[in-house]
Amino acid sequence: MSSDIILYEKKSLPSKVTIIGGILLVLGVVLSVLSFGADNLRAYYNLIVTLTMLYSVGLGALFLVALEYVTSADWSVPFRRITEIVAGLIFIIPLVSIPLLLNLDTIFVWLNPELLHTDSYVAGKAPYLNTNFFIIRTLLVFAIMFGFYYVLAGRSFKQDKTKDPSVNKLTSRLSAFFIPIFAISITLVSMDWVMSLEPKWFSTIFGVYYFAGSVLAALSTVTFISIVLYQNGYLSKYIKEDHFYNLGALMFAFVVFWAYIAFSQFMLIWYANIPDETAWYMHRAGSWYYISIGLIFVKFAIPFLILVTRYAKSNLLVLKIVSVWIFLAHYYDLYWMIMPDYTIKTASNSPVYSWFELSTPLIVVGFVIVVFMLIAKNKNLMPVGDPKFKKGLEFHL
Amino acid sequence: MENRILHSVTGLFHSADEITQAAKEVNKAGYKKFDIHTPYPVHGLEKAMKLKRSTLGYIAFILSAIGAISAILLMWWTMSVSYPLNISGKPFFSLPAFVPIMFELAVLTASVVGVVLMLTIFFRFPNHSHPLHDTEYMKAVSSDKYGMVIESDDPQFDIDKAKSFLSSIGATDIGEVYWDNNELTAKKTIFDKKFIFGLVGLAIIVSGGTYWLLNKAMFKEPFNWMMYQQKLSAQSPTTFFKDGFSMREPVEGTVARGYMPYPYPADSAVLAEKYLVNPLEPTVANLNAGKAKFNTFCSPCHDYHGTGQSRLNGQFPNPPSLQSDRVRNWKDGHIFHIITMGQNTMPSYAKTVNETERWQIVLYVRALERAMNAKLEDLK
Amino acid sequence: MSTTELTYEPSVIAGKPSLKQIDESIIKPMNEVPNKKFFIAISFTSTLLLIGAVALGFTFYRGIGLWGNNNPVGWAFDIVNFVFWVGIGHAGTLISAILFLFRQKWRTGIARFAEGMTIFAVMTAALFPAIHTGRPWLDGYLFPYPNQHTMWVNFTSPLLWDVFAVSTYFTVSFVFWYVGLIPDFATMRDRLKVNSTADKIKKKIYGFLSLGWRFSNRHWAHYEMMYLILAGFATPLVLSVHTIVSFDFAVSILPGWHATIFPPYFVAGAVFSGFAMVQNALIIIRKVFDLEYIITLDTLEKMNKIMLLTGTMVGYAYSMEFFIAWYSGHEAESFTFLNRAMGPYAWAYWIMISCNVLSPQFFWFKKLRRSIPFMFVISIFVNIGMWFERFVIVVTSLSRDFLPSSWDYYVPTLTDICILLGSFGLFFTLLLLFTRTMPVVSIAEVKAAIDGSQPTHHSIGHGEDH
Repeated sequence: MSSDIILYEKKSLPSKVTIIGGILLVLGVVLSVLSFGADNLRAYYNLIVTLTMLYSVGLGALFLVALEYVTSADWSVPFRRITEIVAGLIFIIPLVSIPLLLNLDTIFVWLNPELLHTDSYVAGKAPYLNTNFFIIRTLLVFAIMFGFYYVLAGRSFKQDKTKDPSVNKLTSRLSAFFIPIFAISITLVSMDWVMSLEPKWFSTIFGVYYFAGSVLAALSTVTFISIVLYQNGYLSKYIKEDHFYNLGALMFAFVVFWAYIAFSQFMLIWYANIPDETAWYMHRAGSWYYISIGLIFVKFAIPFLILVTRYAKSNLLVLKIVSVWIFLAHYYDLYWMIMPDYTIKTASNSPVYSWFELSTPLIVVGFVIVVFMLIAKNKNLMPVGDPKFKKGLEFHL
Repeated sequence: MENRILHSVTGLFHSADEITQAAKEVNKAGYKKFDIHTPYPVHGLEKAMKLKRSTLGYIAFILSAIGAISAILLMWWTMSVSYPLNISGKPFFSLPAFVPIMFELAVLTASVVGVVLMLTIFFRFPNHSHPLHDTEYMKAVSSDKYGMVIESDDPQFDIDKAKSFLSSIGATDIGEVYWDNNELTAKKTIFDKKFIFGLVGLAIIVSGGTYWLLNKAMFKEPFNWMMYQQKLSAQSPTTFFKDGFSMREPVEGTVARGYMPYPYPADSAVLAEKYLVNPLEPTVANLNAGKAKFNTFCSPCHDYHGTGQSRLNGQFPNPPSLQSDRVRNWKDGHIFHIITMGQNTMPSYAKTVNETERWQIVLYVRALERAMNAKLEDLK
Repeated sequence: MSTTELTYEPSVIAGKPSLKQIDESIIKPMNEVPNKKFFIAISFTSTLLLIGAVALGFTFYRGIGLWGNNNPVGWAFDIVNFVFWVGIGHAGTLISAILFLFRQKWRTGIARFAEGMTIFAVMTAALFPAIHTGRPWLDGYLFPYPNQHTMWVNFTSPLLWDVFAVSTYFTVSFVFWYVGLIPDFATMRDRLKVNSTADKIKKKIYGFLSLGWRFSNRHWAHYEMMYLILAGFATPLVLSVHTIVSFDFAVSILPGWHATIFPPYFVAGAVFSGFAMVQNALIIIRKVFDLEYIITLDTLEKMNKIMLLTGTMVGYAYSMEFFIAWYSGHEAESFTFLNRAMGPYAWAYWIMISCNVLSPQFFWFKKLRRSIPFMFVISIFVNIGMWFERFVIVVTSLSRDFLPSSWDYYVPTLTDICILLGSFGLFFTLLLLFTRTMPVVSIAEVKAAIDGSQPTHHSIGHGEDH
């Protein structure tokens, strides 16, 4: 009886979307290349923002996949394939890392021989902060990402054809195993690429802070793409408002979680007032002050007040707008974390934003679209082989 | 026949599906004053009963905002206006430090006031005299049956029609519920005598208890132990020392900070002359400083020009003039020595002016002497 | 393997009891005279409570000097016990509020008991800040009321935030618990057979406590909304309370205390230790009260998974702290962590590591997750380990900080230990009394969760209902 009901019908995605994504990507790359010619250091910093944004969305999406398996959630099963495809962003991360890995000494002060000579604190970190170990750690994270993508997403892709329900058991175990490994990976990414820009500063919660933002970035991407696909008939007609409500509720929860982590980090450093630690925040005061205050509103107050209402979470247009907003808010966050170090190096310490910086959103959005379209080609946009697929569609509040 | 007033007609159902269907039917039939009782909340029943969405969500949100604002006002007033204290250099209005309490009070207000509002205003609880209490109907619906009541004050209520309607939609155990006459006449308003007396009594007990606790009990043993301590307070008598003083003198040989012993005895100005040299240059600053000190401390006896004809007018023996040749021929160290140790009637000024100031005075005295004995070459 | 087997979601209640049977099995303890086992248990816990009360009495009369606190270890058992008990309270709120928000049905059987544990744990915890003030009778000054000194409390101090946080947490948990109990009190009011004067008094009390609840669906609608709101508020409240407790330490400049990761680290640790305590209590309760069909093995297994997750989070925090202590290059920081592992308190540190990081790792194995004796033992280890974690944090960081000439070793006195025993006595006595006077399982929630209790929702392909 149930086999007569068609839960999902595959429609092929329009190629013009790929073209649009490609144009954005090319434009972004062109801007980036031109910026290297104009101001080398600034271009590298923007490339770091790009890289960390890609890590956020890609690795964050892989985490969301694992999270679903670990919690045995039903409602998110219809969206899992989209999340898996978005996680495919991890494959272009090595590409983006290459220009950075070849020029670590231009970017990072802990490779500056004069500083290593005079500053004993920085020199003391050399066993960890040196080119070789840095590259090894980067490669390790690549290996982890690719390996777990293969087992988590790969098994799900295969399951579409075999429709073998026993696949879930091992995937769930591997997901549980992935969670702590993911924690370490994302901590390494945040500490190596962002925290070490100011090597004398440190914060034990930094990995968690970056994690919170990453989940938001990934979740908002998945939400936006899911709504767009649904509204254009690419997903099952059995998906309801209730499913998107849950995505909105999850975004809300992580907005609050991010704010909690951000506030904890700030308040503890402000309270103890130790110059070693406050330095990082002081660099984001002065002419960066309004941007810092703006972050609170952009990434917390406004999404909070919107998503707390039932209306926002049930209205697809509002959810789309909020998803885009949160995605850009994470970009804002990364920009705020990374660029002040550049402006200090150039002794201006005032925020800069011009065509240089535009390369980042163009490249990231371009890659999201292009990678999605390429991976989604010839694949189902929903995990039809998953035994919980039907139950997931039946979910209601 | 007792003159009892009918409250409602009741019927029981036996499954969640049945009661949901029944809710839809009773709405279709046009009844407005009906109610449904279930031992646990049945999903979808609000929709079937066409109930409006509860406003408690908005109320809770507003209450939380009120809580947060009250908290920030409290903290602003106490920490920044009423009694600001410098606590490890934190600003008087330190928002990061105020956030935790803002959050806590927001949650507290929303939860407690929200629940109290729900119970007292929405439900009008406590209400132990509702006609449905202690009926077989209530015993059934509080355990395992689902019930519906159609109240007698519904506009289209007719007891037989209501009963037949209930059985038509599948209800069993159709019954009637009556008001208890004494409960009907008992009007429970907020100005209930018992309640008011209770409140007043509570107020008296609480305030009296607090007063006794804070103003009387805290002064009894053992709570008052810390008020009477054996430590010695400044300027108070004590039995601890034989002389009855709390204040003690410094131990013999105690010196003040920065104290340097002056090695030349009072009568050996010669030695002082030989070894003491003025370390200061006669700069404008030094001379001005010396002038200030001289005018303050030395001029009462020596006069502003050092002549000895001071404004004391001989009430105190006039000192010999500083303009004399004898003094002019003294070295700086001699003058310094006299200021330090005193001479004849002049006391020691060592405690009044410190060493630097003494040398500055010396410089000034020299300037005075030169001024009184000016030669034509000095003008060039 | 068939599809149904793998999508099998264990139903909340094993078997298919009727609503009346649920009533009876849950209300049974309140209708019967307790058996010998109960009396033995409660006399044991009351003895512990009495020991603690005596020790406390002496402390009030003679002063804090009876404790082992010295200079520099000004905080010891008092604060360690405080954090320990507050942490245990958090598991209860997590089960009743957070799992409710995540719509995890398996919480139904254990939510009421967990909430009760929260309240008793918070009551026990709140004792410690109250008694450690030296002159506890002046504790009223902890609250900002206009007084004759025209002085106010220090709102910038985390110790004061604690006062607000713990009071709020207790009040809100109590309200949440009470709101959940109202329908159950009404059920008990209606079901109690009045056979004696004692029963009449019982019925009057339950009736009074039920506030006149009539099970009207017009009320249920508001009730459900309020319950959701309370759960929605209780969730961030739980996080904030233990965060504020962590701020007690993290706002300082002491190495080993001042780490930005303390807030989520403490919250994860609280959930971890709380679940272990709940696990221990539940395993006993389900056996003693024949509630195995409601507190199922699947429920216990899920709790073990949560313990594994939070235990791993705690392990992550340990490694981050350790790494950053080296990375920071600050000698005092690195020394603190080496001192923990190899200094005079190394014994406490290694107990902590083996109990917190190693023991929950056994829960990776399904067989061990589903073995009741094994999980009981592991939960005890976790409790011990988490107590020692707070001990290590508080005492080792204080006993050896910046100035070696100020270093000293802390040894608890008999009074300290008796008060700790008394706290366990208080907690378990209250818990035992709770089991006999109120329903340990939420009657209304369980009824709402069993199969067939909700209107049939038609699945896709079998006709639409709405």
